[in-house]
Order: sequence, then C-alpha cells, then structure tokens
Amino acid sequence: MEEIFVPALGMAMDSVVLLEWTKQPGDQVNAGESIAVIETDKTTLDLTAETSGVLGKHRYQVNDEVPAGNTIAVVLAPGEVE
Amino acid sequence: MSTLDKEKSLAALRQMMVIRDFEETADKLCLRGKVPGGMHNSSGQEAAAVGVMSALAPDDVIATTHRSHHHTLAKGFTPKSVMAELFAKSTGVSGGRGGSMHLAGVERGHFGGNGIVGAGVGIAMGAALGIQVLKDKKVSVGFVGDGGMNTGRTWEAINMAVIYKLPFIIICDNNQYAVETFVGRVTGGGDLAKRASGFGLPSFNINGQDVEEVYKYTAEARERALAGEGPTFINAVTYRYYGHNVGEKGQYRTQEEIAEWRTSKDPIDYFTGVVLERKFATQQEIDDMRASVRTEIDEAVAFAESSPEPAISTITQGVDSGKLGIQL
Repeated sequence: MEEIFVPALGMAMDSVVLLEWTKQPGDQVNAGESIAVIETDKTTLDLTAETSGVLGKHRYQVNDEVPAGNTIAVVLAPGEVE
Repeated sequence: MSTLDKEKSLAALRQMMVIRDFEETADKLCLRGKVPGGMHNSSGQEAAAVGVMSALAPDDVIATTHRSHHHTLAKGFTPKSVMAELFAKSTGVSGGRGGSMHLAGVERGHFGGNGIVGAGVGIAMGAALGIQVLKDKKVSVGFVGDGGMNTGRTWEAINMAVIYKLPFIIICDNNQYAVETFVGRVTGGGDLAKRASGFGLPSFNINGQDVEEVYKYTAEARERALAGEGPTFINAVTYRYYGHNVGEKGQYRTQEEIAEWRTSKDPIDYFTGVVLERKFATQQEIDDMRASVRTEIDEAVAFAESSPEPAISTITQGVDSGKLGIQL
C-alpha cells in the first residue's frame, strides 16, 4: 500500500488546496501517473503514484485545504484492502 | 597512518551506514512535514565526513555548513539527539532551538552549522586562532561546500590562517553542485587545490568517496597543524544523491548521472568491499551491522517523536550571555 500524501516542500508550507482528482476510487493506477493536482502558495503540481495498483477512497474533496504531510489516498496492491 | 585498522574501519563503515539511514529516513519525515524549516540531505557524502572525523581527536573543533547532519553524526552526536533537533524538540543537540541547519555542541568541539555560505571556515579559523593563543594541543576544521569556494570570506579566513600558521584544516565538502550550479562551470582555473595553493598552504584534490583517503589526508594535515606548520586545504570530491533541499524538483542534472554515482562510486558499497577483502568482517557481520543501524535509527525517530517541545518559559534563554536578566 502506497500512501499518496501532500509533501512539505517549502520552508513554511502549511497546507495546500486540492484542485482536482485525476483518478477515481477503484481506478487502475500505473506508477508515475498523476492521482491529484494540488495548489501550494507558489505553484500547482501533480501528486503521482510511485507504484501501480488500484486507488482507494478519496480522503479529501476538491477545494479542501489539506495540511502538508497528510495522506489524501492510498494505492492498493493486489489483495490489499484499505 | 595511511590505512584504517580493523577497529577504525568497522567504526567508519558503521558510521557511514548510520548517516545514510538517518538521512533517508529524515528525508521522508521532512516530506511529511515533521522537520520545521526543511533540511539538506547529505546522502552520498558520508565518506568525506567520516574520513575527516576518523582522523580527529574528540576535542578537536569543527564548524560546518547548512548541510551538516553527516558532520554532526560523524563527530559523535547520537542519531537520537540529532533527529530530535530536526524535530525542534528540547532533547535535540541545540535544545530544539537550532533545527537541521544549526546543529551545534560547543562544549564538544562542534561550533555549529549555519546558513551563511562559507561562514563555517571563518568560524573554525577563529577557533584555530583561539587554540593557538591558548597553546592547546588540538586543531580546528572548517567545512565549506563548493558553493563557498567563490566566496570572499572563505579566502580571507584561509589567508589569515596561513600568515598566522594556525592549526587549521579546510575541507571543501565538494558535492559538485551549489544548489543548481555545477562546480565546473564556475571555477576559474578549473582546479580548487591549485587555487588554494596560491595562498601558500599545502592543498590537495582528493577522492571524497574513499573514506580511507580522506582519513589519510586529514591525519597528515592534523600532524602538520600540531607541529606548528600551519593549515592545509583539502578538496574532497563527493556527490549528493538528493536535491539541495528536501522536496527539490531538480532539473539541472540527469538521472543517469545520479545513477552512475550511486552505483559505481558509492562510498558505503566501496568501503564494504574493502572491509570484506581485508577480512575485517564477514558478509553476515556486515548484514548484522546494517540491521543494528536500522534499529538505532528507528529508535531515534521514536525518541524524537516522543520528546517534548522546548518549554515556552525558556524562550529567552540562549539569546544573550545570561547575564543581562532579560525576562518575558
């Protein structure tokens, strides 16, 4: 199970806004694919999966403010449950 | 003096493993927002730090740079106390006040990391002057990155150390990139040791991925310094595996270049081979060593997580000599 989380990138990055989900719960995800798009105080960026699998549930909704470090979804390997 | 004996070799290898595991672990925690202010990962640069410290006595002085976890761990500070400092906890080496970039322990000869490029050389040079004035039998080591090689204060300090014949060693912890700038693009003359030698001190370009080579050059520099022969400049060429700071989206070097350094010039892989070849340890003992390091770093994280933050009542401590009586 890979946790997709908001990375703390800047020296004082507290939270980001979730702009878009590019994968839906139950979708097949390939390593390197975008899961979601977030907006930091400086830029927008894609959160990508490092592993392949199936996306679990969305833990935040579009336009939610997400604290840096928090997990927004998991990518499940075959046989794994959330 | 040219090689490390069995005991020192095993200690050096384990220390490099500690640094690597610490940095890889801290990097992930930093991305999770556990390290206020961020951090600079020294993965890949272990040999240059451990080689220097293997040649120093416990009370020799160091001052370092913004990238200082490896120097601090190699100087003998525990992973627990360094990790706690990254987490800004009261149990950290700087009481939770310094964070990643201001690891220090003056009473143990660590005059700190800092965020000013090239400043570690000036701080350590001052310590060397103090050692000379007090007639102590120890040396001071100033670390500087390749980015600090084009900074005036670095060369002012080196010049002063030469004219006073200070017990001083300058280590260029040359990871080849000043943030995004490749050292080869910005080094007039193209040779840092040659540049330093113009200031009139023994100067060497060495392989910073070979812990034993770094040890040897540092040990010889220390002997000269203790004999009153003045400072030495050592350019230890190394490589950082991660970005300048955690989370950096690096576009200035290729994945192939990083992979080449990781796979063919890794300081831990290289020295593991040396240790096995000299029969200082078996593969099983190396595996056990790595496992014990993993446990130690896990314990460091748990310690940092569970440690208290500095008490708000102590907020004015450490901002002056303590004699002014500043109170909230």
